[in-house]
Amino acid sequence: MAENETYKLTDNETYREVAPEEFRQECARLFDNGRGRLRMMFAVDSRETGEGFNIYAVFSHPGKDLFEIVVLKDLEEKEGGITFPSITPKIPAAHWYERQIADMFGLLPEGHPDPAPLVLHGLYPPGVYPLRRDISHDQIRGLLDEDKEDLSSFMKVKGEGIYEIPVGPVHAGIIEPGHFRFSAVGETVYYLDARLFFTHKGVEKLFERMGFDEGVKLAERLSGVSSFAHSAAYCHAVERMAGVALPIRARAIRTFLLELERLYNHIGDIGNMCAGTGFAIGYAKGALLKERLMGLNERLTGSRYLRGVNAPGGVLADVLENPAETLRTIEGITGQYKSFIEFLTGATSHMERLDNAGLLSREIAMALGATGVAARASGLDDDIRTAHPHLYYGQLVFESHTRMKGDVFSRMMLRADEAACSLAILKSILHKAKGKRLEGDIALPAVEVPALGRALGYVEGPRGSIFYYVSSGRDGRPFRVKPRAASFCNWPLMPFAVHGNIVPDFPLINKSFNLSYSGSDA
Amino acid sequence: MLARILYNIIGRKQALPESELNAMAGEGDILMAAGLKPGGMGRIFRRSVRIRQVDAGSCNACEWECTALTNPVYDIQRFGIDFVASPRHADILLVTGPVSAAMANALRKTYLATPGPKLVIACGDCARDGGIYRGSYAVTDGVDKVVPVDAYIPGCPPAPARIAAGIMKIIEASSKIK
Ligand code: SF4
Repeated sequence: MAENETYKLTDNETYREVAPEEFRQECARLFDNGRGRLRMMFAVDSRETGEGFNIYAVFSHPGKDLFEIVVLKDLEEKEGGITFPSITPKIPAAHWYERQIADMFGLLPEGHPDPAPLVLHGLYPPGVYPLRRDISHDQIRGLLDEDKEDLSSFMKVKGEGIYEIPVGPVHAGIIEPGHFRFSAVGETVYYLDARLFFTHKGVEKLFERMGFDEGVKLAERLSGVSSFAHSAAYCHAVERMAGVALPIRARAIRTFLLELERLYNHIGDIGNMCAGTGFAIGYAKGALLKERLMGLNERLTGSRYLRGVNAPGGVLADVLENPAETLRTIEGITGQYKSFIEFLTGATSHMERLDNAGLLSREIAMALGATGVAARASGLDDDIRTAHPHLYYGQLVFESHTRMKGDVFSRMMLRADEAACSLAILKSILHKAKGKRLEGDIALPAVEVPALGRALGYVEGPRGSIFYYVSSGRDGRPFRVKPRAASFCNWPLMPFAVHGNIVPDFPLINKSFNLSYSGSDA
Repeated sequence: MLARILYNIIGRKQALPESELNAMAGEGDILMAAGLKPGGMGRIFRRSVRIRQVDAGSCNACEWECTALTNPVYDIQRFGIDFVASPRHADILLVTGPVSAAMANALRKTYLATPGPKLVIACGDCARDGGIYRGSYAVTDGVDKVVPVDAYIPGCPPAPARIAAGIMKIIEASSKIK
């Protein structure tokens, strides 16, 4: 392949190889002063095929169903190590990706404003880069040194009356681990420093030693309540790499279950926000409704978390088998959902707490590459379902919702709008199934993965866009699998959203984003 | 208890239809069906058991099932079992996740902060032996590699009723020994 040539791999995916001196310029061109979106950024260790280390930056542009991928080749070996030109000064959304690349591959972003370690907590000696392909799991384990754990580099806020509140990693509730440092003045949070990646499980490297079929199980376990979205995005990537199109029934079932997952998450999240304001009855109602949906999940797929359904080439459960019965359940849930939302919006004491809490401006959301509910509640119209129609979404009539204000209230109401939309999509698919308009196989017989293939896969999960990049080696086995969870984009928003709020509102604001630790930590 | 009262209040208007509940539970009350008995805590803990849940790097599905135990459908509090915020108040550590390298120290400290007599339950397949993450450079392959474990609850994730039944069983078993 000639240098700098743009070639098409799949219908909406183009790769363009550039040299280090062109990298910044090319990324800036695609970023288009903030009109373009950086979807993900990652490195690949291709030394064994003689191509050295490469860096991929994936961009898309609103209104265009196209992913433009810049591939940086020939990284420079300098005295301090191997470096690449940082794009963070121009594209702030790149900041975490570049730090992650530095930790995992030992490639240093030159010109990054804050190149501190992100993922590994100093648990390994310098020079250990887990995602390099010439070091094994066992070798890395042998080098682990827990005593070296280093969490010291917190941002210090100085001034009269400012004090620090450290929280975690083991929290008071039944939630995931992370360490937070609040710098507060009285009750008001001035700054929040969040140290994450406590649940880092080496997932990306684990993918490399599994087969593509087996990898589904791992994708399902990236983040518990996004099990289906993650495995769907993963399968999507593998199928695109293999160049196969799914039968209509398989596409409809995946779409159906993606919406069912969104629904139980959104309803659960709306209920959990009540826990954030101490509104126990709202919380209980939300939990009941969520539990009912989990029961439906189990009845349809055998799993409360919709696991074991996705496979490259389709689905393993014919979820649309009894559309009439499922339709009755969904109708019942719709009624309960409506009265739940009416009840909540009528509860002034609860709703008042949401108003103006945890404001996230559109500018910050855009600059940091926010996704999903967090982005749409701050006025950014970004929904993979409509921007890049896939599965059965192109055949459905629905709109993606936005709210303008960016506070907890907007995030709650946006979820309410989207849950109603999901219910409508579920019903529409069930009606079509009832009318026998979705007949066909639920999976392809087999999916042949080509050697040296690569592709992106994506879905709109409950928390926002989820991307997977997969590539295969000469043997047709996984060479690189890079998941990009929605929460990886949204965690950096937190310090901005809590700034100026009172400490007791933090749980509420946190719940309004409902970010995944495990998905982001990977 | 509060959750029970709440359930009675809101249940009147919007109770789950019996068929749905039964579908989830098998028959009748889900936790009773799973073997839980009110006041059945045995000698060690009497009628009250306090649990500190520790996420040691799980995928988060296990925590959601633990959380579900406190919702009005399961309402585990009515059996004298509740989740607490501090290990200092806990009788049981319910640990989920394969124990990521970054959480090993925190788990050890939590264990030391829990007063005896105490029980440790490894909840979920990955807490037992690393599960799907087994062998990864970033995990320790199970809770018992880091702190002593008294019981394991299998499943990925174990359903809420299964977690509750597991907790009950280990309480009963340890009461008999001592
Ligand atoms: S046992 Fe399964 S569900 Fe539970 S934390 Fe581990 S991977 Fe997740």
